[in-house]
Amino acid sequence: MTLLDLPSNRDEAWRWSDLSALPEIAARAPAGVVPEALPWIDCAEGPRLLFVDGCLDESRSDLGPVAIGPVEVDPEGHALARLAGRVGWSLRLGRDHAPSGPVQIVHLSTGGADHLAGEIVLDEDAQASIVESFVGEGWSNRLTRIRLARSARLMLARRVMASVGFVSFTDRATVGEGASLVATVLAAGGADTRIDGSILLTGEGAYAEAGGALLARGRQRHDANYVVRHEAPQGTSRQLWRSVADDRAICSVAARVEVARGAQKTDGEQSLKGLLLSRSAQVNAKPELEIFADDVKCAHGATVGELNRDALFYMASRGVPREEARALLTTAFVADAIERVGEEAVREAMHADAEAWFAKTPLPLGEREGPAAEGGGRVRA
Amino acid sequence: MLKIENLHATVADKPILKGLSLSVNAGEIHAIMGPNGAGKSTLGYVLGGREGYEVTQGSVSFDGKDLLEMEADERAAAGLFLGFQYPVEIPGVSNVQFLRTALNAQRRARGEAELSAGDFLRLARAQGDALGVSMDMLKRPVNVGFSGGEKKRNEMVQVGIIQPRLAVLDETDSGLDIDALRVVADGINRIMRAPDKAVLLITHYQRLLDLVVPDFVHVLAGGRIVRSGGPELAHELEREGYAEIAA
Ligand SMILES: Nc1ncnc2c1ncn2[C@@H]1O[C@H](COP(=O)(O)OP(=O)(O)OP(=O)(O)O)[C@@H](O)[C@H]1O
Ligand SMILES: [Mg+2]
Repeated sequence: MTLLDLPSNRDEAWRWSDLSALPEIAARAPAGVVPEALPWIDCAEGPRLLFVDGCLDESRSDLGPVAIGPVEVDPEGHALARLAGRVGWSLRLGRDHAPSGPVQIVHLSTGGADHLAGEIVLDEDAQASIVESFVGEGWSNRLTRIRLARSARLMLARRVMASVGFVSFTDRATVGEGASLVATVLAAGGADTRIDGSILLTGEGAYAEAGGALLARGRQRHDANYVVRHEAPQGTSRQLWRSVADDRAICSVAARVEVARGAQKTDGEQSLKGLLLSRSAQVNAKPELEIFADDVKCAHGATVGELNRDALFYMASRGVPREEARALLTTAFVADAIERVGEEAVREAMHADAEAWFAKTPLPLGEREGPAAEGGGRVRA
Repeated sequence: MLKIENLHATVADKPILKGLSLSVNAGEIHAIMGPNGAGKSTLGYVLGGREGYEVTQGSVSFDGKDLLEMEADERAAAGLFLGFQYPVEIPGVSNVQFLRTALNAQRRARGEAELSAGDFLRLARAQGDALGVSMDMLKRPVNVGFSGGEKKRNEMVQVGIIQPRLAVLDETDSGLDIDALRVVADGINRIMRAPDKAVLLITHYQRLLDLVVPDFVHVLAGGRIVRSGGPELAHELEREGYAEIAA
């Protein structure tokens, strides 16, 4: 086993992360068994890739335009990104090209740690929808490089459904003139996550969305760190994150917008909202703005709260049992984030994932309640 | 059907209901009137089972069962409906989804079969039509962006869909224009005037009681029923105000 060089909590960007379980997971041997049911989405036929512990399962994959091999990534100083290596899958689409349907990638981890890189390079006016689903029980670590040329469009959705373990991924994206990137994450499994990303809007009128819904219970932790940097004029960016924490779980989102000098008429919006389902849960929301241009419109909002008691009573007074009312309100709370996904079949699958998460039997009340002082919401401006 | 005896209740440790007694039989419509702050809405919330409304003395039985022992949703399944003075907005949850969940939860609790999506939509459309609430509105989030009057009409649509046995309607007439008042009053008469049903109508206005003629009128003041009578009591209140009667 190689020695893991992991960041510590003393580093500001990692202060909310808990990577302490990773060495132990990495030391485990993967079982390598592929289950019958895999989370393929029933939609238009497109390329399908199954990675089992980071290796392509050719018999269950249909690569289409996707290639496997060395990938042009530059992981910089990011510790997890570096671990992901420089070999993986690559989707390069020429001018005006688009796959026949959404590209589906399932990452199955059967025990240990697996690392994999990926790249998405779209030439002018090319279009793709990609959905990655993470399942299993080990540690899956990914690095994805994204390059969108003029007017290219990419819809990138991630479903983290792994039952235990850890899922980490890092995105490095550049978005060219008039191009559009919509990246959405749904963490609705039992695994902890660490999500990192940076999007550079390098062309005029570029559009980027990064966000998602993080659902956590038990002692789970989700940790998202995303930076959107506007380097050209008239760009638009949206970062919409919804975090739900129950029991003693912790969700943390740090979202940053940077507007470079010269990136005039930038329109940037951040909305970070947290919902605490128990007194001992915690949501940290840290919106950040750094603006060096003078003619920009940037708005950010961050709130952390509990379920609305009036709404809960209103629902109860109509006969909706407490747990069902909680699930309805919580589903509604995360719906905005999932609605960003343009591909209908993928969006519906993600709504269903979230509902399945809420429908799980909650812990008995005794385990749910904790000392009030421990939990709470924190909004840092 | 409903028997309230010597009910005392506090909100935030403040005594609000102070020995309230009231009996409502099946087939009856009772109006409750009284000055602002008398405890009318508090009575509704206590009957509905809202958290924070603590009963310190007395009893409430509903069809012979101890109402106060039940959770709020169990009371609804048992046939109690509370129309809110200020209906609550629920962003992100449509009226249709909310009411279908509610109705089916009640039916499950009573051991009845759930309604299919299609059957539910037909029921919702019919009840909405009768009260001038369109299907478009029913597909919107619960009460979000509804005007004051639309919210009240929406409460009546819910009564029509849920078909409770006892409806406690807290100022369902407030904020309604003249035509809407008639529509809502017709709704109350149509849905709730039946031998096996009863209504507790909390109101400030005679004009509702001209359209939904109560069998009994009660004056609630200082947390108790201080006077009861027939429909003529409402006229007397209208003429003389509460000062004399509640004194
Ligand atoms: N949460 C609370 N904390 C303290 N006092 C409360 C609270 N809720 C209600 N009250 C008080 O209880 C009293 C009764 O209120 P309630 O709403 O029942 O009056 P009402 O008869 O419905 O009045 P209205 O005709 O204005 O609707 C009022 O004095 C009110 O201020
Ligand atoms: Mg009131």
